[in-house]
Amino acid sequence: MSDFQELIKSFPKTREYVRDFFVYGFKTRDEFKEKSPRTYDNERRRLESWLGAYVRKDHVPKGSNISLAIDSNLLDTNPLFQVWKTKSFTDNDIVLHFLILDLLQSGDAPSAEEITEHLLTKYEALFDVQTVRRKCNAYVREGLLQKKKIGKTVVFSLDLSLAKWLRSNDNMLDALAFYQMAECFGVVGNHLTQQSDFQNQSFRVKHSFCVHTLEDEILLSLLDAMNRKIDVRLSIKGSRNGITHTAECTPLQIFTSTRSGRRFLCGYLSEKKRFSCYRLDTVKDVSPLSAGTDPASQDVYNVLLSTLERNKKYLWGVSFQGTSRNHLDKLTMKIQVREPCEQYIVDRLRQEGRGGAVTKLEDGIWQYEKEVFDCNEMLPWIRTFIGRILSLQCTDKSVERRFYRDLQAMYRMYQIDNPERTDKTESND
Amino acid sequence: MELFSEIYSCYYQVLRHLLLAPGALTQQDIRSLICTEGFEESLLSIIPRLEGGSWNLFKKDGTLYRSRISSSFTTPVSALEKSYLKALLSDARIGLFLEPAQLDELRDMLTDVSPLWKPEQFYCFDRFSGGDPYEDEDYRHIFRTLLKAQRQNRYVDIDYTSPKGTRLHHHYIPARLEYSVKNDKFRLLALKPASSFAPRSRRKRTAYVKKNPDYKLEILNVSRIQSACLLEKTYSAPVDLNAMIRRTYYREPLKLRIVDKRNALERAMLHFANYEKNTTKIDEDTYECLIYYNQGMETELLIEVMSFGPMITVLGSDGFLGSLRERLLKQVKICDHP
Repeated sequence: MSDFQELIKSFPKTREYVRDFFVYGFKTRDEFKEKSPRTYDNERRRLESWLGAYVRKDHVPKGSNISLAIDSNLLDTNPLFQVWKTKSFTDNDIVLHFLILDLLQSGDAPSAEEITEHLLTKYEALFDVQTVRRKCNAYVREGLLQKKKIGKTVVFSLDLSLAKWLRSNDNMLDALAFYQMAECFGVVGNHLTQQSDFQNQSFRVKHSFCVHTLEDEILLSLLDAMNRKIDVRLSIKGSRNGITHTAECTPLQIFTSTRSGRRFLCGYLSEKKRFSCYRLDTVKDVSPLSAGTDPASQDVYNVLLSTLERNKKYLWGVSFQGTSRNHLDKLTMKIQVREPCEQYIVDRLRQEGRGGAVTKLEDGIWQYEKEVFDCNEMLPWIRTFIGRILSLQCTDKSVERRFYRDLQAMYRMYQIDNPERTDKTESND
Repeated sequence: MELFSEIYSCYYQVLRHLLLAPGALTQQDIRSLICTEGFEESLLSIIPRLEGGSWNLFKKDGTLYRSRISSSFTTPVSALEKSYLKALLSDARIGLFLEPAQLDELRDMLTDVSPLWKPEQFYCFDRFSGGDPYEDEDYRHIFRTLLKAQRQNRYVDIDYTSPKGTRLHHHYIPARLEYSVKNDKFRLLALKPASSFAPRSRRKRTAYVKKNPDYKLEILNVSRIQSACLLEKTYSAPVDLNAMIRRTYYREPLKLRIVDKRNALERAMLHFANYEKNTTKIDEDTYECLIYYNQGMETELLIEVMSFGPMITVLGSDGFLGSLRERLLKQVKICDHP
């Protein structure tokens, strides 16, 4: 393994490996079939190097497998941010980074030629002007340097006021410590705290799903397209079959789930004239399409946003279409609540019911009702009330049947004695 | 604006710390800092480049390395980072941290910057309603008091109304402020000194404190705290919060069997990704997953497991299985489906 490098050039391939190790963590070398065993070995070695403290090795009959053992209740930061800090670079890159930035700390604004000369005289570092100019221009694009023309000379300078403000502001550092754990693009907040040599020791985040940081590059491209109001072509790898396909859409909004941490792009498919959602962890690449800067296409974009907004009250999750032929289906659930000691159940209906109507029918019996595009999506939530569901009705009968069939299956799985009802339900199927 | 860029690289961080370390460094100093802050194999890449001179950032002075850059070196904030800061200005929770004057100051410094995202570009479809009142001045005052106490290792006098309506009044050590994404609420992970819950009799008290840990971990909803007063009393003994949390985990983890149908495996793995877990393949499409949890997580975990219906099977622990069966038994008794 003489060619092993700890740092990497491109993110996408590693993204898939880290995700697989994190999410599944039970695949042995032989089970990673998509790439060669050599690639697997290198990726595994990198992962162990980057995330050593969280890597667990288990010996299984067909070899050993490694997984990432991360308990989000015990974390002060997201360990997977490390993966974003692995970009490879050249010797010139790192030397010029420190020397140019050091040279400009004084507040002077020299030209590329002057910088080149100072690098030699002050630091004994010999570079050609082209290399220095290229690095300065790259840093202007990254926002690290400012570029200005004085007469015919282009000069470069540094503005450190914000960096110094951040370092000296404890309240802001606390805010960054919190947001790096709790908001999107947390890795950027993490860079900022690190630059200020500050570590989070005050905050924890419950229901934090570390793995989704790996989608942030995709998210960044989508937000850019949304800001420019342009269409995109997505390259999507199916989570079930692993087959890659493409889809073109107008990106409108990012839907997020607090329960699983999953994020979705909600886009409009002009060919099919409908909205659709794509899981960000299945999106492998985003390519911008039309320029879309003319006022007419901007108007169309705004109309689509308004239409989506109107539709959202009928969305339970991310599905705009159910299994029935109806445009909308209504689900009604009656539950038993011991009052007043189980008032928290009624509170749950209100807090978690996404705007559904909650009505008291009589003492100890409450009804929840909601009309949505796809009632199938409601079933996982409905099942959390098992133990108190008096009845469940849905205008999409397949949803009703599925609920009761699953319930019967659970009775059988856990040997709950109910022979009479089992027979009846099975005959209904 | 690149998210995956060498300017955010771990190696750049390590080098910055080496270059800004006070005084000249021995090779041992350098090695030990790389081992602490770098990746596990970074030493193999960094040392040869420093020794060979291809990273000509130190002056060699015998066996010592002297930094070529000034000790006041500050890394500027990148366009991506500015854009991130600008986005935070639109978040309601920022007011918990920054005073209005500080918010104005930051806003002024970011006048020409576009935010990395806008709140309306995101839609959280399953967040519970009834999140904390981040703009309420009393709430902000309590939040800041707790944060200050936590940062300064000080005790805080808390008057609290529990969800059941019981009024509690105690001196606590604020260990962490925990944010729940799902509930959009802050909770205080608070430590209650053993002396405050030990028996009153001296003999029993001594025996109790010997047997029990120094602190008891309690979780308080910040929005239910009626008042919080910062006390002068500080604590100095280090508290290993993670060890304390781990001690609360049941010895026997939740054991699930997952049959990979209808993408159940991936769904379950992602859904339970926030717990410490260990998954083993049993045969072609059957997997066993162990999830580690404590009493405080039990009800939520039970609800999450039930939401999967028959897609996953609970094999243990006995206690967890008992709770699940109890709910199913209640269900079978009341369901009037034909």
